[in-house]
Amino acid sequence: MSKARTDTIAAVATPPGRSAIGLIRVSGPAAFEILKRIFKTGGKKTFPLPHCAYYGSIIDPESGFIADKVLVTTFVAPHSYTGENLAEISTHGNMVVVSKVLQIALRNGARSADAGEFTRRAFLNGKMDLLEVEAVSQLLSAGSMSQARLALNQLDGLPSQFVSRIRSRLLDHLVQLEASLNFPEDAIEAIDEHILARDLKKILAELQIFAENARNGSMVAAGLKVALLGRPNSGKSSVMNYMLGRDRAIVTEIAGTTRDTLEESLTIGNYAIRLIDTAGLRQPGDRIEAIGIERTRSAVAEAFALIAVFDGSDLPDADDRLVMAELERSGKPYLVLRNKADLAQKLPDAFFDGKEQIVVSALKGSGLDRLVEELRRIIEDRGLGEYEELVLLGAQQAAALDKALTALERACAGAGRMYQDMLAIDLEEAVRELGRVNGETVDVNTLDLVFERFCIGK
Amino acid sequence: MKEVRNYQVIVVGAGHAGCEAALASARLGADTLLLTMNLSTIALMPCNPSIGGPGKGHLVREIGALGGEMAACIDETCVQMKWLNTSKGPAVRSRRAQADKYLYRQRMTRTLFNTPNLTLRQGHVTEILVKEGRVSGVKLETGLEFECERLIVTSGTYLNSRIILGRATWPGGPQNQSPALGLSESLVKCGVSLRRLQTATPPRILKSSVDFSKLGELPGDPDSGGFLWENRLRRYERQISCFLAFTDEESVAAVRRNLSESPLMLENITNVGPKHCPSIDRKIMRFPDQIKHQIFVEPEGWESQELYLQGLTTGMPPAAQQEIVRSVKGLENAIIMRYGYAIEYDALAPGLIRKTMESRALKGLYTAGQINGTSGYEEAAAQGLIAGINAALAIKGQPSYWPSRTNSYMGVLVDDLSIWQKPEPYRITPGHAEFRLTLRDDSAERRLTRDGYLIGMVDEERFSRINAWTTRIEDELARLNDLSLFPSGEMREKLVSSGTGDLKKRVSGCEILQRPGISYNDVKALLADEKDDWLMAPDEIYSLETEIKYRGYFERESEKIAQTKFLESIRLPLAKVDERLASLSPHIAEFLLSDQFDDLNQLVRKNCLSRSDLAILLTVLRQDSEEVVGDPEVLND
Repeated sequence: MSKARTDTIAAVATPPGRSAIGLIRVSGPAAFEILKRIFKTGGKKTFPLPHCAYYGSIIDPESGFIADKVLVTTFVAPHSYTGENLAEISTHGNMVVVSKVLQIALRNGARSADAGEFTRRAFLNGKMDLLEVEAVSQLLSAGSMSQARLALNQLDGLPSQFVSRIRSRLLDHLVQLEASLNFPEDAIEAIDEHILARDLKKILAELQIFAENARNGSMVAAGLKVALLGRPNSGKSSVMNYMLGRDRAIVTEIAGTTRDTLEESLTIGNYAIRLIDTAGLRQPGDRIEAIGIERTRSAVAEAFALIAVFDGSDLPDADDRLVMAELERSGKPYLVLRNKADLAQKLPDAFFDGKEQIVVSALKGSGLDRLVEELRRIIEDRGLGEYEELVLLGAQQAAALDKALTALERACAGAGRMYQDMLAIDLEEAVRELGRVNGETVDVNTLDLVFERFCIGK
Repeated sequence: MKEVRNYQVIVVGAGHAGCEAALASARLGADTLLLTMNLSTIALMPCNPSIGGPGKGHLVREIGALGGEMAACIDETCVQMKWLNTSKGPAVRSRRAQADKYLYRQRMTRTLFNTPNLTLRQGHVTEILVKEGRVSGVKLETGLEFECERLIVTSGTYLNSRIILGRATWPGGPQNQSPALGLSESLVKCGVSLRRLQTATPPRILKSSVDFSKLGELPGDPDSGGFLWENRLRRYERQISCFLAFTDEESVAAVRRNLSESPLMLENITNVGPKHCPSIDRKIMRFPDQIKHQIFVEPEGWESQELYLQGLTTGMPPAAQQEIVRSVKGLENAIIMRYGYAIEYDALAPGLIRKTMESRALKGLYTAGQINGTSGYEEAAAQGLIAGINAALAIKGQPSYWPSRTNSYMGVLVDDLSIWQKPEPYRITPGHAEFRLTLRDDSAERRLTRDGYLIGMVDEERFSRINAWTTRIEDELARLNDLSLFPSGEMREKLVSSGTGDLKKRVSGCEILQRPGISYNDVKALLADEKDDWLMAPDEIYSLETEIKYRGYFERESEKIAQTKFLESIRLPLAKVDERLASLSPHIAEFLLSDQFDDLNQLVRKNCLSRSDLAILLTVLRQDSEEVVGDPEVLND
């Protein structure tokens, strides 16, 4: 049973403030009735024909007041964004005009839409599934091209189709199991547990790749975290400031000034990057520094890639070696910067142990193009540039995917060794949770499928 | 004419629902009258001669655990008993018995006659009497009236029933008994809407006309034990086998040749029948590529010369039946003793009963069995038991008994029934139960006997015996859990040599038992010095092993059970929906206030609640209740 959607909703679709046009959407069974009441078109075209644009006026039927000259576009159910009758009113982009038009629509039978209600209706009417809904919400808030393209890719429905296929393969096995469990004496072919185990392992492997893509997708969507490491006064903050093009971190000559992690967003090419300046790894001198080190460690753990900054004008010290060790330990891709190239160089090449150095002077702004280029290469090496592969999940969907994976892992471990009724419990859970990932009917009646596929009946 | 004596509870119909209802009501002390159209056919099995199987067998175990009669009766009167699904896991294993139909009837009839507070009379009820909006009695065809406070109607497939045999059709009940006429009109007048359902039964053939050498033999299992707790270790030495035959190209051709005479093609019958036992005509039509269909050839009793052809259900005319039966290898010369037939009858429209089996439409009325749109003796008996218990509790002024999905297949059955919206009859299977590990066959007493005792269905003595048994299992579970030890060198050697691997850290007895390949008896051998009170009985050991071996599954299931229990504890309709619930969608408030659902869990199961609606509801309910309320995230699963 779904929510009753008998009323018609209206809302302003463009952001508040001045803009060239304003857009008001009206969706629901009475959308065109309401428009007929408040919209007079001058042209000869009958209103409303499906999928037509009409030029005319919004007139308050009570007062006869002409609110604006507008363009009305009609979309007839089910061929609209919401799957309902939908009218889009394009007004001049003045907030006073826009709100007046909305008011008139509301006074003539429309209800003010709740946040996200247009998309919710689209979902409820089967116009999109949960993955697409998530994509819309991400698209609306995308801050970089990569985020937007990722969302658009998801709107094409490819990840949904994948989840749907995986789910239906699992469902096939579940139905087979349930048939044999529920109707032991009906001549249902015995389940070959080796084939079952093999197939489940294949499905698990595919789902694991999907989950990895979802993790990558959420990284791209949230912005890729890049942590800046370096001993105090190595010039990290200058590097950051240069990359950002403004003064964010406090740059002083006193070591350890940057005690907190600072986070800033920037885009490199198409990618949203979250650059995190860390406090350093030196042995704590006080409590504040100790906290800083802890934060540095967690920033490293969460980072997608690391940039280590070394002072080329100085001899390496214990802190530098700590940083070097941290790069190795983290297992993350990293870039090594020899900073302060404008000063006399004391840092021996041997310190880098064959690691490729990027020579920069943050102060003078030299060598940073190469840094940006290398960072982009790291991103693309990780396959994060291939939007077709990436998946966006909301928090609840990600949790459901996790549960599905856990259940499927249990089923894989158990197939061929565990009783079939336990296997069925795990498969049922995996199928149910996958249904929650893309919002396919959560309520699968396995028994109905058993009857559809097998001739049951003693 | 009015009977001088009034009854507290009247049960109409003495089939499997009616018998349980009457016995429960009388055993709980209500002055009970059981009315049947034919005192000679009490507890008739007009269709298959078997009781049990996955889901159904669970119900029979539960009926026994709660104090009903079916388990005891079939244990005494079966000609075969066996386990099904033993290789597929503890949640789905179940007993199935072949009944001696005649002995079953006899024994049930004797039990009814010997039950205090219970009167049996023959009579054809044609009218429900209503006074001030509630049931006040019944009127018979003869004009005789009986008064009562609670009425339980268990009309089976007799209500306005019609037999169909090819083109021939006539008013008639199962096995050509009289149909119950008049009662349908009376029910409708009381505001109870009806629908038409159909079912069918296969032909019975003469045993001596079968060539058994061409059939596969399906013997029973002497060690299966019976359904009733007291019979759990009983041995069944003497049994009769069933046999297995198959259709082939010839039989499929025979069915096809006669399809034009099938009621399905003639359309002289409603199309709404049980999904799980389609007629042979329907099977051939729906699965045209399947040539081999099983036919179970089942005895109807020790002395009976009739064999039941499970799988050849049909309402085709006699000549067609003979042609189809004789096309089957082994049945070439079979003589049909009774022809199969289809039957069409009145049942309640869906959604008219509560989980207590009480009618939503008329106060004081209960219905149980096939009238509620179920099929099967076991389903009928379970409903009869719940109806009988609740009618008697109402007489005593005590609160109703609400079985729960979390504690029994009976709970699953009545819960499904009260919101079942599908057209076809309902049959229980493990597929309906979401907590089937907990609702295992072997745990029936642990789930239900205390309820039976508190209600009054289980007497002190039986309760204390069963309770001692359940306590033994549960105590042993706790003891093995508490038994923490560092494995000795000798023990480690034994573990390694048994192939399960070494143990190098402190473990509990349960952890050892959880290892693959280790049984309770292995643990006993390993830990013989640690304690001396070991379980001996195989059934006790089985239950214990199951719960320890699959602990992870149980733990996950019990989390969900706790949530379901809470949702079930919110009974609907609510008295009022206050302003705190104002932000719910308007139709939700309607659901909460109207008498369509019995509890909140039903609303959740029917997907009536959005995540946000449920979250609001739970927040408010949490304010109103001291109980721990589940997490809406998980609840919306």
